[in-house]
Order: sequence, then structure tokens, then C-alpha cells
Amino acid sequence: MRILIVEDDREAASYIRKGMRESGHVADHAVDGEEGLEMARAAEYDVLVVDRMMPRMDGLTMVETLRQDDDHTPVLILSALGEVDDRVEGLKAGGDDYLVKPYAFAELLARVEALARRRDPETVRTKLVVGDLEMDLLARTVNRGEEEILLQPREFRLLEFLMKHSGQVVTRTMLLEKVWDYHFDPQTNVIDVHISRLRSKIDKPFPRSLLHTVRGAGYRLQA
Amino acid sequence: MLSAALFALSSFLILAFVYVASAGMMLRRADASINEEVTALEARFQAGGIRSINRYILQRTVGGGADYLYLLVHPSGRSLSGNLSGLPDVQPDDEGRLQFSYRRPVVAGAEEEDADKDNRAARGRLVELPSGYQLFVGLDVDEENSLVGRMLNTIFAASALALALGVAGGIFISRRFVARLDAINNVSRSVKAGDLTRRAPRNNTGDELDELSENFNNMLDRVEALMHRMRHTGDSIAHDLRTPLTRMRNRLDEALREEGDLDAREQTLERAVSDTDELLGIFNSILSLSRLESGESRKTINRMDPAVVAEDLAETYEYVCEDDGLEFSFEVERGMEVFADRGLLLQGLDNLLGNAVKYTPAGGAVTLRLRRNSEGCAEFSVTDTGPGIPDADRERVTQRFVRLDNSRTLPGSGLGLSLVQAIVDVHNGKFDLGEGPGHVAGGHGPGLRASMCFPLAPAPQDEGV
Repeated sequence: MRILIVEDDREAASYIRKGMRESGHVADHAVDGEEGLEMARAAEYDVLVVDRMMPRMDGLTMVETLRQDDDHTPVLILSALGEVDDRVEGLKAGGDDYLVKPYAFAELLARVEALARRRDPETVRTKLVVGDLEMDLLARTVNRGEEEILLQPREFRLLEFLMKHSGQVVTRTMLLEKVWDYHFDPQTNVIDVHISRLRSKIDKPFPRSLLHTVRGAGYRLQA
Repeated sequence: MLSAALFALSSFLILAFVYVASAGMMLRRADASINEEVTALEARFQAGGIRSINRYILQRTVGGGADYLYLLVHPSGRSLSGNLSGLPDVQPDDEGRLQFSYRRPVVAGAEEEDADKDNRAARGRLVELPSGYQLFVGLDVDEENSLVGRMLNTIFAASALALALGVAGGIFISRRFVARLDAINNVSRSVKAGDLTRRAPRNNTGDELDELSENFNNMLDRVEALMHRMRHTGDSIAHDLRTPLTRMRNRLDEALREEGDLDAREQTLERAVSDTDELLGIFNSILSLSRLESGESRKTINRMDPAVVAEDLAETYEYVCEDDGLEFSFEVERGMEVFADRGLLLQGLDNLLGNAVKYTPAGGAVTLRLRRNSEGCAEFSVTDTGPGIPDADRERVTQRFVRLDNSRTLPGSGLGLSLVQAIVDVHNGKFDLGEGPGHVAGGHGPGLRASMCFPLAPAPQDEGV
């Protein structure tokens, strides 16, 4: 994957670049919005990671300009501003995801990979399949092998998200935001509890596990 | 000083007015007498011609003691009669009046008035009679002038006295004023130097300075209270951050020593990272709290059914409670409407549910309710069968970083209930802590009932009002 990091803090940028390289991606760096815009126009990137507050041209303006040029490269906005208003503003400007600083690198990587994946023309799928696990989005049923699995509505949405991102690391924060629509840290281990319940339904009775815990990052559903 | 000068100036002006008025009056009286005499003489001229006047003047002036000063002058310029040696050598003013000085003629047998044989002040009028004669009638105003002079002296003396008194009084008054101001200034200097217990002296008269002292003292009370709170918050932050920081430091230290064992080292480092996350979490809570308290989050408030929030969290906490061995039940009334920020309501209610789960021992029960209460508000309540909060501490726990002794060992920042309070405040609601269900079987209780009440939104058609 080729990633452009637009970030005025050089240290933060090199931290991201190093991590991306170690994960097998290519990462370029632009120091402000103007340079970022030039580089994004000059080359084809899979994902742009754009800091919000930068000299010369801020991140939101840069993304807006790109979108006006009909450039739909997925954008992840990084920001120290984490209130709901700020997120909404970031997404309105054309960002596809929003990550509040400080963040763990695993979180950033998971989100960048999720964004790159989303670029694939998203056909309206009515059926999700991971190994022998099948989800019918119309009938709202789940089967593993021959067996039907009964899920609560939230468990269903959780599994749907995991299946749509199968093979990728999905972090707790991503699940909280995308499945629960919670933009705060809950007081309890909400995600762990739900994952373990889901696991007991889709994995426990079967010889092979599909839902894996990725230490220090989150979870991955993989056949 | 200024007021003393003003006082002196105003008394001088009053006296000056008296002077001008009385001096003017004397002059006018003299002029009136002169006019009368002139009129009488003119009448005499009409009746008996120049001779008659001449005779009259001679009669009047011979032997001295005449009230007036006279001089009748022949057209040739020769004096005919009168008690003046010649016409005064001054120009008449607009009304034909002359102000002049003359030498009193020395008359035989006159008293030893020679002391003032020098010039005496007089006023007079020169009239042209038909056939070229000139008639001058004057009046000695020396007495009046000296009276006015004496008056002038008195006025100057009085003004000087007034000035002196004014200055002295002013100094006295301002000394007292300055002394009282100094007292207030001293207090503010001590406060600036760090002694917040000092207060400005009061004399309880209710005058302006007393009022100033009162307001000043009230302000100091407020500052002292705020300082106290800030110091408490600062101490608490230091205390609460020291624990995870120390833990993190120890872990990193441990990782340094785990040279050989890579697996152990990785685990230790991972735990250090999660300690960092905990610290960041505390900072984030402090930030959102400050944002809420500064009233910045009003933009995202919408009309909504609070049941959405209650059902969402009920769905989540059902499993969380089950996982922790707690019985969870909920009861949600639908169809109410409030103006609220969905995210904030979720966060507030999550805090209450999270606390209930955290503090209720396994085997206990947690109940979530949403209903319209007797005051007509939408009331979320979370009741648990944990140890509860003693009556005396219920006010305190919503303050930042306040953690009761028995909770210090549990994870948490001591910011949760402050956050709930702030969220409720943003929505003009009410946050309340009360007794739970009391002591129940199994040694649980008395429990806690925490509630957030939000005013219902008016029906949509009334919105425009």
C-alpha cells in the first residue's frame, strides 16, 4: 500500500513512516497542506493520513480542495481535537475517518488498512462469508457450517463489521465508533464482554477458531 | 487638596460678588444724587437764567460745607462760581460721568483735616447749558471709596481664612480617607504576597469606602474558595497521576532488566503502554470536563427521545452485568422528548452504569429505569445493591478527583461523577444521589440510586413561542 502522510510534526511523521514500513507499506511525507496537495495530485496513493492543524494550509482545506478536484482517495484525518463537533467538521470536509491524538500506532494502522480496503468498489453484498461462517444480510441469519447461530441485534452488527473487515485488525475504538456509535471511553470492558459472548456462539462449539485476539491492537476475524 | 482650593475659590467668588454689588450700589446712589441736583439746577436756569444758578451756587459754597461740588464756567472758560478750582481733567464716560480726584479747598477755620488734604475721590457730571455756559455738579465719594476699600481688605482676609480653613479641613479629611484606603491597600498587598486570610477593615457605616471594603472582602472570600478548590484539584491530579506514573516507571525499569526474556519484556512493555493509555484517559476526562464546564458543547443538542439512549445502554450492559455476575433489569418509558446531545447522555448514563457495575459485588443487582417523574422530567435512574455512598459524602463526590476511601483501590480517575454533573448541567437538568433499595439478602446494600433528570422539550407546535 502507498500512503501519504501530511503532518507538520516531523517526529510524529517519522514515527508513522517507520511503523508503516515495518508493516510492509510505502509511506511518503509532506510537511504541510500545500505540499500535501501537490504530492497527492502528482502520484497515486491508497490512503492519505492528514493532520488537521498545519501551517500554510490546514488539513481540512486540503481535503476539501482534493474533493473539489474529484479526487476520492480515502483520507484519515488526525487531530488533537476530539469533540463530536470536530469529528463532524472533519467528516464533512471530506475525511473518511477521524482519529484523535494521541493514538496507538496499531489503531492508526488498522484504520488505514480498513480505509484502503473500502476503496474496492463496494457492491451491495447480501451475503458475507468467512471460512464456513456465513451471514445473510437480508434474512438476518448466521450459519456456521450446517448450524444456525442465533445472535442478538448488537452481536449481529458486531459480527457484520468483523466479517466486512475479515483478515484485518479491528481495534476496540473502531468497534466502539462503528458498531456502538460511542465516541467516548466506556467505564467498563464493553467490547471484551461482547466479543467473548460472540466467540462463545460462533467459535466455541466448533473445532477451529475464527475470531482472534491481536495483542495490543484488537481483534481479527480470519478463516 | 483640590477640594480645599475649590472651597476657598468659591468663598472668594461669593465675597467678590458681595463686593461688586455693594460697591456698585454706592456709586449708583452717588450718581442718582448728582442727577437730582443737576435737574434742580436746570429747573432753576429755566426759571431765573444763569444768574439764579450763579447765586445759588455761591450761597451753597461760600463758607464751605456744601454737600456737592459745583463749578459754573463762563463760555470764555472763566470760572464764575463753585467750590472747585477747575474742571476735572478727565474724559467723561459714555453717560457723561466723570470719575476724578480733587484737592479739597482749604477753607478758613476748617478742622485739621489736612491729614488728607491730598487727593480725594469724587464723581460728577458736566452739563452744557444753553448760551455756552458749562455746569459741573459732583459729589465727594471718598468716604464710600474707603469703605469699599476696607470691604475689599475684609474680603481678602476672609478669603485667605477660607482658603486656610479649606486646606486644613481638606488635609484632615483626606488624611482619614487616605488612611482607610491605605488599610485596604495593605490588605491587597498582603493578599498578593500570599496571605489570603487578610480582610479589609470595616467601620460598618455603609459609606462608599465601607461598601468598597465589603465588596473587596466578598471578592477575597470567593478567591480564597476558588484557590482552595484549585489547590485541592492540583493536589488530587498530582496524587492520582503519581500512582499510574510510578507504576509505569517501575514497569519500564523492569523491562530494562528483563534482557534475556524477550516475551516477558514484551508483556511488561505492553502493560506500560496501557498505563500510558490510562493516564491519557485521565487527561482526556479533564479536558472534556473543562470543555463541558465552559459551555462549549451546546451546538450538538437536538430534540430526541431519551429512550434511545436508555435502550442502547441496556442492551450493552445486560451482557456486562451478566459477565460480572450481576442481575440486570431495565424499564424504559418511550415517547418522551428532551433537548439533548445523544453522545453526552450516553456518556453520562454509561458513567452511572459503569459505577454500579464496578462497586456492586457479584450476586448483586443493577436496575436501569427511564420514566417521567413527578416533576414532569425525563428521569434516568440507576439503582444498585452495592455499599452506596454515605449521606455526608454525597455532595462531595461530584467534585473533581474526589474518591472515597473505600474506592481508592479500584480503577478510576475520580472524575466520573463530576462529568455526569457537568453533562446534566449542560442540559439544565438535575443530578441526584440517594439511598438504594436498603439492605437486602446476601449482605448487600444499602445500595445507591443515582438519577439524572432532564426537562422535557415543549411540544413541537409551541416551539416558535
